[in-house]
Amino acid sequence: MITKLQKILGVAALALCASVGSARAADDTVKVGVLHDLSGTMAISETSLRDILLFTFDEINAKGGVMGKKIVPVIVDPGSDWPTFAEKSKQLLEVDKVAVVFGCWTSVSRKSALPVFEKDNGLLFYPVQYEGEEESQNVCYTAEAVNQQAIPAVDYFIAQGKKKFYLIGTDYVYPQTTNLVLLEYLLSKGVPLANIGGGYKKDSAGKIISAGKYTPFGHKDYQQIIAEIKDFAASGDACVISTLNGDTNPPFFKEYAAAGLTADTCPVVSYSIAEDEFRSLPAKDLVGQIGCWTYFQSIDTPANKAFLAAFQSWLKTTKADGVVKEGRVVDSPMVLSYDGVYLWKACVEKAGSFDVDKVRAAWKSGVSFNGPGGKVTTQPNMHLTKTVYIGESKADGQFKILKTFADVYGEPHLKGTFKPKE
Amino acid sequence: MAWKIILRPLLCTVSLALAVLAGGRAMAAQETARATIVRAILTTDDGQKRAIIGSLAGQGDEAIREIFTAWRQDGLFVYTAPDGAKVPVELTGDKDAQGARAAVRVDNGEPLKDAAGRALRLDASQLAAVEHDGRLRLAMKTVVDLLDLGSPLLTKRLRAIQTIGFAQKTDSLPVLQARSQVETDDGAKSELREAIALIQLADPDDGVKIKALATLNELHNSSSYDLIKALRDKAEAAGKTAVTKAADAALAAIDHHRSVVKFFGTLFRGLSAGSILLVVALGLAITFGLMGVINMAHGEMITVGAYATYITQNVFGEGMNFTLPFVKIAIHLPGLHLTGWAYQLYFVAAIPIGFLSAALVGIALERCVIRFLYRRPLESLLATFGVSLILQQMFKLTFGSNNVNVDSPVYLSSNWTVFDITFDWNRVFVIGFAAVIVFGVWLALTKTPLGLLIRCVMQNRMMASCMGVRTERVNMLTFGLGSGLAGLAGVFVTQLGTVGPSMGQEYIVDSFMTVVVGGVGSIFGTVVSALGIGLADQSLQQILLNPVLGKILVLVAIILFLQWRPTGLFAARSRSLD
Repeated sequence: MITKLQKILGVAALALCASVGSARAADDTVKVGVLHDLSGTMAISETSLRDILLFTFDEINAKGGVMGKKIVPVIVDPGSDWPTFAEKSKQLLEVDKVAVVFGCWTSVSRKSALPVFEKDNGLLFYPVQYEGEEESQNVCYTAEAVNQQAIPAVDYFIAQGKKKFYLIGTDYVYPQTTNLVLLEYLLSKGVPLANIGGGYKKDSAGKIISAGKYTPFGHKDYQQIIAEIKDFAASGDACVISTLNGDTNPPFFKEYAAAGLTADTCPVVSYSIAEDEFRSLPAKDLVGQIGCWTYFQSIDTPANKAFLAAFQSWLKTTKADGVVKEGRVVDSPMVLSYDGVYLWKACVEKAGSFDVDKVRAAWKSGVSFNGPGGKVTTQPNMHLTKTVYIGESKADGQFKILKTFADVYGEPHLKGTFKPKE
Repeated sequence: MAWKIILRPLLCTVSLALAVLAGGRAMAAQETARATIVRAILTTDDGQKRAIIGSLAGQGDEAIREIFTAWRQDGLFVYTAPDGAKVPVELTGDKDAQGARAAVRVDNGEPLKDAAGRALRLDASQLAAVEHDGRLRLAMKTVVDLLDLGSPLLTKRLRAIQTIGFAQKTDSLPVLQARSQVETDDGAKSELREAIALIQLADPDDGVKIKALATLNELHNSSSYDLIKALRDKAEAAGKTAVTKAADAALAAIDHHRSVVKFFGTLFRGLSAGSILLVVALGLAITFGLMGVINMAHGEMITVGAYATYITQNVFGEGMNFTLPFVKIAIHLPGLHLTGWAYQLYFVAAIPIGFLSAALVGIALERCVIRFLYRRPLESLLATFGVSLILQQMFKLTFGSNNVNVDSPVYLSSNWTVFDITFDWNRVFVIGFAAVIVFGVWLALTKTPLGLLIRCVMQNRMMASCMGVRTERVNMLTFGLGSGLAGLAGVFVTQLGTVGPSMGQEYIVDSFMTVVVGGVGSIFGTVVSALGIGLADQSLQQILLNPVLGKILVLVAIILFLQWRPTGLFAARSRSLD
């Protein structure tokens, strides 16, 4: 009887420990959450992030884990349904009690999960380029800020002598905000409003509240829009700035090619197309289009080559469910996820604790990691300093790097900072 | 203005180029084009480099194009000879076992030889690549454009003429005027007129400007709009009413032309959007309209057709492997390794394959599930919805959750531009495709014995059965026909986007909408409603300048319409729904 009672007490005490010591499932492991869509419209992009995270955990575990503890991932699938992100975050933070969560792709999903992270003081590592205007203390933005992707690409086009810019995007927060910032930026560079295509909306006070053309997720029919772009580009020196997301890209580019537009006459920079999306895109319709990221698979450094080789050999041996093993490529959001895990590890080790407040303090103090895309350094504003590359897509779905900007400081608050040129 | 600052070096280059062109070729004549390029490559200063390249403008040497192409594609390298001389070379041909390629000297186009006179092979990674940047490429392009002015290829010539016209440099007028004397093609002639007029817009003399505006007015080409507008604003600010008036007239002519183009373009796009709806909904018009089965798995029949196209494409190419879920049978389809036109025919082959595979799946579905539910429409809704989910998971397990891509065959991936209206071949194709299918269905239903049986079974199943018609068999074949038509739609929609497990879901609502609006049971109604919805959707998009709002308005209109006529446009006299 006594032994039984002891056992029960022991279990209860253990349970108590588990709930108090927020992150510890058992003594030698640490639970981390993976919050990516594995089904629905965003699965095309986010499944790869799950894969690279699993690879990174295995790589770290093989080298002894984080402060001697093995990483145990808790994977949840919000199914491309934005409100579900809040529910699943709650589950990860309150039921599974994970130390940190790696996740989200679309900004709307991040915005949905954010209140839960702020309430429960969780930590979310967010790896995908986004619109800025946000600086939560509960999110580590490994993602590209607008000045680390959208603006360098526009600078590149301006240097190429482009005078007309057509803005098009999927209708949600990232494209809307990015295009507003870009509109301000273009005006500040002396581009007249008439040369910015896609239309704009003003509120009753005459302030522009939305710039560019928007289509919903899953939109299929781009005939009218392409006809409009063709007319817009007829006078030469035009380019398209696309924040189209997910599976709206194939119909857009198929229509673009069929209408006789080419990268020579009217190039498109797509902020949401990286190497990984090429796997299901009509690559030949995309040759010569521009991409701008903080990593390209074609970066020719020993660190990148070693990383790629390690990932490919992990793919061959992994027993994880649902990992596609053939024809895999690596792209910027994947590498930023990878960098994120290592930065978290470095912050934990610097703080000597898994406690969210201490890890955050370590992040703010400035921690560096030499990733496959070059050195990344954490900043006090929860963002990263990193290298930005501009590339041109090739028929094999890889990018040829055209330009490199080293050590670009991540600046989330850009709206209103560019003044129109007189 | 910032872009002007950026453009200034470029404009300098262009003007320098044209000055050389117009003024005499003293400097360039002394050395060959190849020698000039070598000088450009070995110059370290970027500005000078562009100037040297610009000096090549007007030389008709085809070698320039070749070398610039290699340069732009990273094919040029600098070889340092044993004596320290730097020799720019182009690496050509395939790599050998050591990774080395044949080297051709840029200065004379001969193979690079060592002291003993043997041809050298070089490894690119051991050499210094000749760099290039955006502005340098633009300078090269300007030279090549002028070269293209005499190109035998019409498209190249047109591009060159346009580029020169937009640059608005008066120096290039003589070149264009000389060209218009010898040009024979009408299209190029009118482009030349436009380019000359555009350049004349920059002329200081108002008389010349007004004359040029009259020409542009007559040509009313959309591409000149921006330049005229800029001129108009400047003239208005300067108070030159005559120029402003002429510019206004030219702009009005272009606007008028644009609105005509927009009108007919929208009509065409509406027709093609309607045809897509029609192709997608026609199968449902049979399974739901004629047979009365609320077939929620209709979308998955479309997916079957799409995946069949994907498989056909792979079999025509490199072959493919996949594993059937549950039974774990690995299937290997060997590839035919076709290339060129034979490969391009995969799309034609996919049409019957898509039809047959979807028809077979439909027949299996009818035999296993639907035949038990003919008198119970609500149960058939639930059962087919379940089947739809099962099929989606099957696709996911077989082909992966990532979307796959079907290439556009060359005969569907270009366009005709008539009167400035773009007719995409795939859009033209779908209109014809829809017409052929509708005609085929009409023939099958009205002119064949099976069609007669189908119609009589659908009108009164009991009576037909009493008359000795094997209604079971007719049901099965009708459902197979409807599913096969959905498969045909699947073959075509691969040309609009990618193929994925849940793609059918995107079409199911549109299909039901089309059939219901047209009147359940009436094929003719489906045709009218598909074309009507397509046209309304595209015109509203054009009018409201918003793709979402247009769709919403169409849906609202449909709801109101169905309040007024619940049976749709053409109420059928079928008793299958009784």
